[in-house]
Amino acid sequence: MRIIKNKRGFEFGFGWIFAIIAGAAIIFLAVYASNELIKSERQISDTEAGKQLGIILNPIETGIEEGKSSIIKFPGETRVYNECDSSGIFGEQRISIASKSGVGKDWEKPGVPSSFNNKYIFSSGVIEGRELAVFSKPFFMPYKSADALILWPLEEYCFVNPPREIKDELENMNIKGINITDDIKECKKQSKRICFTNSGCDIDVNLQSKSVKKNKQTLFYEDDSENALLYGAIFSDPGVYECQIKRLMKRAGELADLYKAKSEMLEGEGCNSNLNAELEIYSNKTKQIKDSRDLYQIQILSEEIRRENAQLSCKLF
Amino acid sequence: MRSYRANYSRKGQMKIQEMAFVLAAIMIFFAIAALFYINFRISGLRQGVEEQRSQEAQEIVKKIASSPELSLNKECESCIDLDKALVLKESKAYKNFWNLDYLKIEVIYPNKKQGECIRGNYPDECSGITIANKTKDFGTAMSAFAALCRYDATSRTKKCELGKIYAAGEALK
Repeated sequence: MRIIKNKRGFEFGFGWIFAIIAGAAIIFLAVYASNELIKSERQISDTEAGKQLGIILNPIETGIEEGKSSIIKFPGETRVYNECDSSGIFGEQRISIASKSGVGKDWEKPGVPSSFNNKYIFSSGVIEGRELAVFSKPFFMPYKSADALILWPLEEYCFVNPPREIKDELENMNIKGINITDDIKECKKQSKRICFTNSGCDIDVNLQSKSVKKNKQTLFYEDDSENALLYGAIFSDPGVYECQIKRLMKRAGELADLYKAKSEMLEGEGCNSNLNAELEIYSNKTKQIKDSRDLYQIQILSEEIRRENAQLSCKLF
Repeated sequence: MRSYRANYSRKGQMKIQEMAFVLAAIMIFFAIAALFYINFRISGLRQGVEEQRSQEAQEIVKKIASSPELSLNKECESCIDLDKALVLKESKAYKNFWNLDYLKIEVIYPNKKQGECIRGNYPDECSGITIANKTKDFGTAMSAFAALCRYDATSRTKKCELGKIYAAGEALK
């Protein structure tokens, strides 16, 4: 038996072991920290972008104009999350954003949502794209309650045989991505088809029953002079639509309370409206709305208030 | 009684101590660098948030006159209905409706007796209606001119005056 004695052996002393372990720990920590830093920076910029989007939607909301359209451009591929919460006095519109990145996962969780009490965005729950189209419509029932913002990625929507007023309106707004045709065959293959006179499209609008059928669900709308609810039902997810309807009605209810208080205040000044009882019923009905089916009853009451107010010499609204 | 004592070399001990100090120094260096970075980033973020809030207030002040809670009617959507503003001030539901710390409407022409409007002195003995005033330290308020209209009992018509609307975004707590 021979024992090999290697006199030139490598001494793996404490110093080496320590350096390797400490070095590995430092490298691991550095990689982990930079990864976390990138993630949090992404969250911060997404949160800022969400707030910014909420702010830039302000000028798009209508003032004196009847309807406005615009294109929102993002620096890269972006997802906009539209969350609607109908709880509380006015409910809440939450907007959050996630941007696509080449570092780490393509899509991370969206940034912290920005909340708004006075915004009503009708869209899908998640909208993805580099460019988004938006237009606003004032919502009257019987007075102006809010501006409805319709938001969608620049994908093609094909309106088949829409009524004259909708056709004229869409043509006047000159919105990119909306095609109007008389024949369903002229719609592009990848476009979302919206039928007004016949069924079998992705979205079927029934002008008689004032309903919109999409994703096997039926949403109801009412004539609000500006067709805000019709557009809302066409462009948004059923869940988002129903929630925004509740929020719009809650605001209409709070406004009814304001008009009632104003009417009571002016009664002593010789400006008597006699609308207090109707406004109170309207306020209760709107605040208790369950879903878009209840809009029909509310519309009847709203029309009554509108008619009575129009006849007043001292108009409330 | 027997006592045991490990026989470490002094050179080895020195090396271990050296490395421990180096490690501690590296850690302290990274901790200080991280603290500086976090401090710098937080102050940047704070500034960014303040800027966004004042930008939001600026946008709100431009549009608030035409919001349904304040606007007169379809004929003059950008005129403020002062009667409505007075009842809006009393409404609890609207306390946190706009994300604003401060919102005030003030009549600037014709000159009126300075003071906050309440039902008792409205419309002739006061000049301002404060709808929101959450804090004394709201910074600089954005302002915009607006036509302020109200029902005039003498002429039994709407009477409009020149006014200003002030708004300040919510400050960071």
